Amino acid sequence: MDTVPAIVSAPLRPPALAGPSPGGVAAPERRIPERRAPETLHPGLWLGHQLGRSAARVVASGFAALDAELPGGGWPRRVLSELLLPHPGVGEIRLLAPPLVAAQRAGRLVMIFDPPADLSAWALARLGFDVEQLLVVSTRSSIVPGSDSLWALEQALKSGHVGGVLAWLPARLRAERLRRLQLAAHNHDGPAFVLRELAEAARPTASPLRISLHAGGADRLRVHVLKRRGPPLEAPLQLALPAVLSEAALRRWQTVVREPAQSLREAVFVNFS
Amino acid sequence: MLWIALHLPLLSLESFEAMLAVAGGVEQDAVAARPIALLEAHRIVSTNAAARALGVKPGLKRATALALAPQIVLGQADAGRDAAALLPVAHAALAFTPSVSLQPASVSAAAADTVLLEVQASLRYFGGLERLREAIFAAIRPLGHVVQMASAATARGAALLARIEPPAQCADLATTRLALEAAPVWLLGPGREHWEALQGMGLRNLGDLLSLPRTGLARRFGEAMLVELDCAFGRRADPREPLVLPPAFESKLELFARADTTEQVLHGASVLLERLIAWLAAQHAFVRRFRLLMHHESRWQHSERTPQATTLEIALAKPSRDSAHLLVLLRERLMQLQLPAPTLELCLQAEDIAKRAPPNAELFAAAQNEQEGLTRLVERLQSRLGAGRVQRLVSLQDHRPERASAWREADAATVGGGRSDAMGESRMARATSADAVAGLPTDAARMAQRPVWMQPAEPLAERGSRPLLEGRPLQLLSGPERIEGGWWDVALAGRDYFIAEAGDGALVWIYRERLPLSRSTKEEELFSSGWFLQGRFG
Repeated sequence: MDTVPAIVSAPLRPPALAGPSPGGVAAPERRIPERRAPETLHPGLWLGHQLGRSAARVVASGFAALDAELPGGGWPRRVLSELLLPHPGVGEIRLLAPPLVAAQRAGRLVMIFDPPADLSAWALARLGFDVEQLLVVSTRSSIVPGSDSLWALEQALKSGHVGGVLAWLPARLRAERLRRLQLAAHNHDGPAFVLRELAEAARPTASPLRISLHAGGADRLRVHVLKRRGPPLEAPLQLALPAVLSEAALRRWQTVVREPAQSLREAVFVNFS
Repeated sequence: MLWIALHLPLLSLESFEAMLAVAGGVEQDAVAARPIALLEAHRIVSTNAAARALGVKPGLKRATALALAPQIVLGQADAGRDAAALLPVAHAALAFTPSVSLQPASVSAAAADTVLLEVQASLRYFGGLERLREAIFAAIRPLGHVVQMASAATARGAALLARIEPPAQCADLATTRLALEAAPVWLLGPGREHWEALQGMGLRNLGDLLSLPRTGLARRFGEAMLVELDCAFGRRADPREPLVLPPAFESKLELFARADTTEQVLHGASVLLERLIAWLAAQHAFVRRFRLLMHHESRWQHSERTPQATTLEIALAKPSRDSAHLLVLLRERLMQLQLPAPTLELCLQAEDIAKRAPPNAELFAAAQNEQEGLTRLVERLQSRLGAGRVQRLVSLQDHRPERASAWREADAATVGGGRSDAMGESRMARATSADAVAGLPTDAARMAQRPVWMQPAEPLAERGSRPLLEGRPLQLLSGPERIEGGWWDVALAGRDYFIAEAGDGALVWIYRERLPLSRSTKEEELFSSGWFLQGRFG
């Protein structure tokens, strides 16, 4: 590596400079600047085995294991992050709460679009949300289905004033409509999460980040990174969510469910019956 | 004294085009390309460029014009319509000086087409005459008129000079007199008595006219013309009555063709909206609410239920004067509206205004900007989706989970702004202090566990005394948590809640009814277990 630039530079060196060099103390040995690694040149460049970096600042996810696998070390801003889940209630709100709560703490508005069920104000407050400042837009039951939900989401992303967006998209969305949302998200300075059905995993996406979530047992979440800027992640991540269960209940879960001895299982439900 | 005159040479055509562009929802440029002529007493009085290109000239008869250009749109000249179109220009001018007046037309029947502004006292504030002229042009541009602007030391002189192309700009009396002496004689106006004779006398300009003996001129052309010339040359006082702004705004626009859909109404409504904004700008005010009345065809009212007019009332969360924002709100509301009958006339009314200092302009994005942007965003969403679809959650003090949360309509004016007021600050302070005292249980940690997703109680089947969800048994992990309440109202509840693990590992919230079920026997057979699913831990 070292010899190559020296050979190349030798004929290029002007004789006037070459003359005094033995006497001169500070004469530079090589005139060509040191070659820099390509990935240091621009934030949009990375090597195949490396994790991509995000040009914009990222938002910490609140889970160190997840941050380590996300390009740039957190949830990206100004793009839609796509999350696929089999059904509501696998732990998605507990996973996404830290960045959204941080946005609220910073005095910005967090908007929720088309939640699939009723939200409990007490549960959100427990996760740290300022419930009164959450804005929930529901468009599902409008006269023309689908037309308004993306319009409202696009308006919110385009305005650039919203700090965080959490949206449930209608099923079987056409790719160009999602692409349109993706363009609108360029104006959105903050995390934007779209939640979709697991069946979408078979179709390509315009989002630079796509993740699927599965319940991994009590207070555990299994995260597959399906698409990211960087090498594919083979093994799923196991994240410990903020606990719903008490420690005693969690211990019981570990003994009962993890070691599914038939006798123990019987014994437990005898207790309740 | 320095007067600025705004002359609108095409006013009657433009006021006609405003009602025409609505017809059939045609595009703006398509209208501009269409030949248009105005008739008065069966003779053409004015034409647009497209009609002139086809050879239609003022003075032709109606039949001749139709023979030359069969596709021509012929309208009736209407002085009242022109006056209604000129008024917003005067209103827009009122934002620059309090003394604005209309120059009456030389013919009594015709409408005025010139607005006069006395601007001597405004020059310093607006940074000189040139800057002021630019500001006036910018203020009038949204109204969509062709404007010729002249300035002179006398009101009458400015009005005369604004009619020649290009209009003269004179800063003092001496240059005004020079410009007027060089001005052609025809400026004294068509319709005046002896106007043709005046032009046939071999006089080229007003200077020639003034060099003639005054007594002879008075005898031949009347005293009035000498008075007018004296006013223009500043030799005679020319008092003007300043225009007074009406306390409430009302502007009407008759549509050329009836509008069946709301899209066809939209263009006319946007014309009226620009007039409203000129009226608001005149008093440096912002509108809180306005309404659009759509008068329907009377012939159509076959049933008594069809109203005379449809009223669209638009209330703003924050007073505004931004035409783009108001138009977006109006469009969203109009798109949802079904017209019961075709519309013939539009009327825009507003009385509820807020007078306040304009907001400070910000160089960079600031909290104030964001607050305003959010208010507009929420207003936009509410006007399209309906106010009930943009909501916020509130937590209520009730143990029964289905009554512990409630939805409230979001208030666009305060959305995202709760943090700036005192309450928001105290809330922030409380949160930070709670964070600071580590180790102590915070409010949040002491709260009982509740699932994020709530649903109406769903009965669960039971097998071997274990509840089933989607055919798989649930593993009870935590509980029971007994909730009893509601004896004070009809929804009595006595339940034991458990956190259970579903087959795929997700946590759900189920309960077992403690009270005897008062159900029909058939249902009792099905759901005798008394297990219900009420929430999922998201």
